[in-house]
Amino acid sequence: MEDEAFTDINGKAISLDCHSHSGFCREFTVSSPKVSVGKVMVYTCCVWLLAYTVFFFTQNTAVLSSAILITLVGMMFHIHFVKVDHESLLVIGSLGIQVSSCYASGRETTTFIEMSKIKDIVINEAIYMHQIIYYLCVLLKDPAEPKAVSSVVPLFQSSKPRLNCLVKVYKSCQEILSKC
Amino acid sequence: MSPATTRHPNTSEPHVSTVKHLIMVENSPSPLPERAIYGFVLYLASQFGFFLYCLWAFVPEEWLHLIGLTYWPQKYWALAVPIYLLVALTISLVILFGVNMNNTAPLDSVDNITDMYAQAQGTNSCHKGGIPRIKDVSISEVNKMFYLSPQAIKSRN
Repeated sequence: MEDEAFTDINGKAISLDCHSHSGFCREFTVSSPKVSVGKVMVYTCCVWLLAYTVFFFTQNTAVLSSAILITLVGMMFHIHFVKVDHESLLVIGSLGIQVSSCYASGRETTTFIEMSKIKDIVINEAIYMHQIIYYLCVLLKDPAEPKAVSSVVPLFQSSKPRLNCLVKVYKSCQEILSKC
Repeated sequence: MSPATTRHPNTSEPHVSTVKHLIMVENSPSPLPERAIYGFVLYLASQFGFFLYCLWAFVPEEWLHLIGLTYWPQKYWALAVPIYLLVALTISLVILFGVNMNNTAPLDSVDNITDMYAQAQGTNSCHKGGIPRIKDVSISEVNKMFYLSPQAIKSRN
């Protein structure tokens, strides 16, 4: 599908991929930019220079080895738990939706929500830190009480796309949801 | 201000002024003669209080003992209390911002969609030809209005 220049709320470029598997099954994938080598090098150099200056004054080699350990462990922790590579939303009409995020180390977390629990998928505006952002969310309902919203599941939390991207996903989702 | 509302502060008949109090209904923050007097009294009192504070802070302890004022706080507090107050003011500004951000509902909370007052609005039937009660529009309707093109709505209905 065509890729306009989508950005997230901070202005960083992201890409949206809409794939239509069949008439009632669509998948939307939002990809964040990859970890840049330059940034990694800058962080590593800063931490090691800092450790070297501390070593220069204290003459304690444990400072250097602990700095190396910290950078290694920090990098592994970051790519495994923090850095999201892409998030995807799979909508299957009359069955449910599946939300999954794939991290930079390859780890993938998936959640499936069945259609009887879904009230609607909407674009909501809320206060986030110091600004107001648009975000796509799934409104869940209790099957016993179909009129009330029981909980909210926000989508695309790590990439936080802007409104043009969300409107595209919303229109596509509403086409499927209205058929079932 | 209409002439009926002007009042003399030094009235010899307090009963009349209270009756005129009852006639004036709105509580407005506009300047009044009494408020000017309160303000000026407060100004004089605060200036005098500051003068007394400076007097206590600068006069040596021996002189105060000579007069007979022996059981007064240490001179340390002449500096400490203002500094404490200023630091507390600055920190409270930062903490106010933090408490505000802490109390903001997170993105996954239902408070961003609705609340108990909105849910309590029942579907009351209005009289024929009457104006219906004011009610919240559900977020699904709002989204359809904003983001779905009119052709899509028509084809759906």
